[in-house]
Amino acid sequence: MKRQRILHCVSMLGIFLILFTGCTKIDYTQIDEPAYLRVFNNINYVQTMGSKDDKVPYFCMLINPKTGADGKFTGAEIVGDFLDKRDPYAPPYPSHIGNSNSLSNPEYPGKENVLVGPILNGFDLSSWAQIPSGEVRVVFAYRPKNTVPFFELEERLKNDILIDTVINLQSKEVYTLHLLQKDFVKKDHGILLRQENFYKLPLSDSLVYVNFYNMSAKGFWEADANLKDDDYKLASFKYGIKDEMNVFMSLYESQEELSHYAATVKGYRGKFMTTVKRNTSTNAVSPYVSFPLWASNKANGIRTDIWQRFDFFTPGMNPVTNPFYDSDSNTGSNWAVLNCLLNGKVRLTSNENGTLLPNLLVNVHSGKDNPHTFATVNTIEVVNGRVYLTTIQRKYAPPIY
Amino acid sequence: MNRTNNCEIKYKMSQMKCLGCFFVCLFISILQSCKHDNLTMPVPNENIRPAADFIHNNYEMRLFDAALQKTGMTAELNGEGPFTVLVPNDLAFNEIGIFRPTDFDKMNKDSLRRIIAYHILPRRLYLRDIPSNSVDFRYATREGSELYASLGSLMPGATAPTNALFFSGAKAIRKDVVLSNGVLHVLNKLMKPQFEKNIQEWLSDKKEYMVFVAGLKKFGLWDQLAKKGPFTVFAPTNEALEKRGVTMSFLEGANPEQYIGEVLFGAYIMYDKHFFISDSQVFNIINSNGSYKYHLKDKVHYMEYFADEAYPTWKLSYNMRLRSNDMFNSIILADITYSVAARMDYLCSNGVVHDLDKGLVSPDQAIKKEENEK
Repeated sequence: MKRQRILHCVSMLGIFLILFTGCTKIDYTQIDEPAYLRVFNNINYVQTMGSKDDKVPYFCMLINPKTGADGKFTGAEIVGDFLDKRDPYAPPYPSHIGNSNSLSNPEYPGKENVLVGPILNGFDLSSWAQIPSGEVRVVFAYRPKNTVPFFELEERLKNDILIDTVINLQSKEVYTLHLLQKDFVKKDHGILLRQENFYKLPLSDSLVYVNFYNMSAKGFWEADANLKDDDYKLASFKYGIKDEMNVFMSLYESQEELSHYAATVKGYRGKFMTTVKRNTSTNAVSPYVSFPLWASNKANGIRTDIWQRFDFFTPGMNPVTNPFYDSDSNTGSNWAVLNCLLNGKVRLTSNENGTLLPNLLVNVHSGKDNPHTFATVNTIEVVNGRVYLTTIQRKYAPPIY
Repeated sequence: MNRTNNCEIKYKMSQMKCLGCFFVCLFISILQSCKHDNLTMPVPNENIRPAADFIHNNYEMRLFDAALQKTGMTAELNGEGPFTVLVPNDLAFNEIGIFRPTDFDKMNKDSLRRIIAYHILPRRLYLRDIPSNSVDFRYATREGSELYASLGSLMPGATAPTNALFFSGAKAIRKDVVLSNGVLHVLNKLMKPQFEKNIQEWLSDKKEYMVFVAGLKKFGLWDQLAKKGPFTVFAPTNEALEKRGVTMSFLEGANPEQYIGEVLFGAYIMYDKHFFISDSQVFNIINSNGSYKYHLKDKVHYMEYFADEAYPTWKLSYNMRLRSNDMFNSIILADITYSVAARMDYLCSNGVVHDLDKGLVSPDQAIKKEENEK
């Protein structure tokens, strides 16, 4: 009896061992000489009566696609499927993965489970995907908005191509690729590949950096208002901004006072920052402008509660000569306001015309401090009536509990 | 001592055995007592009938049944399937002037067959299979062409779905009726596909739009209606235009140079749009806004369009309000409401046509002004 039982146990153990050892074979994917790429679909759409019959800009991105004998796509080296319009906020870490149960991807790599960038010169590139460097063919194909993967779609649904082009990526360089509308009247589309330089610049970690782009389509701000998104949350950006705008910044002391009349940091009320020009063709990186992380004298070197308000004025106007009412949202594209505070969802209670984005600063538990405020590198992009914020963070010390 | 111990153990063992036996018996007897003589295995419900039989036995669908029998599709619909049958109820047929089965005899059998086949999908399509908040989701029909399904499910911020379902403009008033070979939805309206016919061909067939057609021709708007579009045309009847002072005799004498054609006749055309009247209702659910506002092609006049089931009749009706420009204090040139559901949603190959019994613009409202007058 006993011997039988022991035999039984030993044989079961043997089987388990075999099963377990059989499972340990792992093929690690590796890309030699990668470039780091992040893709945004800036072509926006809304579901309204007026846009009912428009094509929905919902894409599948194919990098180095393989074609079958009949010239149709059968696969690709890299597939970024379900590429939806981008989110207003592109967070420094791909937090979409844990926060959504939809297949739609607000950016690439976004929710895709792919190899991502390393910590490069202190910057966390986990929102950038590794892509083979060199000349790569990029195709953006329209796809229906459903949950069927691109290559399982019916044949007739796979042939609508928006963009088919070749881009050149250098090894170990960081790129953002923007899918854009270039002409609002002619409805031309195109891409803009920008080689980022933030990881090469000697940026201080006690300054907050931001640069601005206006990637609006040609003729957007001049166009008839009924052709634009009728979304009240866009506020003064709804009708677009003019091709050349000056940016002024105010730093407010506290995110608890939700008013544009609240106290500002000394020296940072309507401070001129930079000029932004509409550009959908050249890939030059806009210069970064900065403000000190500890600008407020209420800050203690660990935590600060400041928030940012950006005024975009047409040349000739400034916060002092501003002829509009604070609550005017139809300013003839001469003035637009952006409030960056909290999570970008909380409106000011004062009567004003700003659209909302999250605070540029990152607050996380790091070391013994919870939260600890960190400086970041940011990009603010105006595309037609909308504004987008991309925040890049550094690597932080892990939390100590 | 040892022996007594042994005895005790044996005694206890036998006691345990007895208990064991007892419990086994108990379980068996409990199970036995559960035995239910009338218990039958769950067999498929025999009352669920195939599509044609179900329709035949339903008093609400007598006319659709008659149409099926006339076109000889009964046997097919009782076949294996699967089918989704979209059945307009008898009221829906009454609306278009069909009251008894013999009325179908007046119709061409082949075109009737095509229309009935358009109401049948060669698949099982439950409400849950249609993506929520989808508009113009297309499904192939038995006829071969596609129909447009729109489902207004969730209002912004709502947690409970509204699930207003429409097929090519007809509302599903009863959804998900299970059949043995498919599923059935009851419609409140007949879908009116015109198949290969484009809007131009459709309009030119109809005598009641004669003046409208003549006007379109006179002002150079006619040829485009044979093109790809899509267009949504609100076709005014001859009487409607007459009330606005537009008649054949007026058109014969009128000088096209004198009038803004895009207002006088262009006001009845929505360009690049493919609207069923029910679309407004769907968008009323999807983003709480079912209206569509646009400038006419003269870039001055401003149209506000919406449709809804509104008080006091709760009939689906559409409303068009034409303004002299887009300012809030502009002059309202026309404000019309139309609610004859049976004469809406003629689905042509390049758009949708709706009947209109009131005119929008009278000729004197569309006179071209000199530059300095504007």
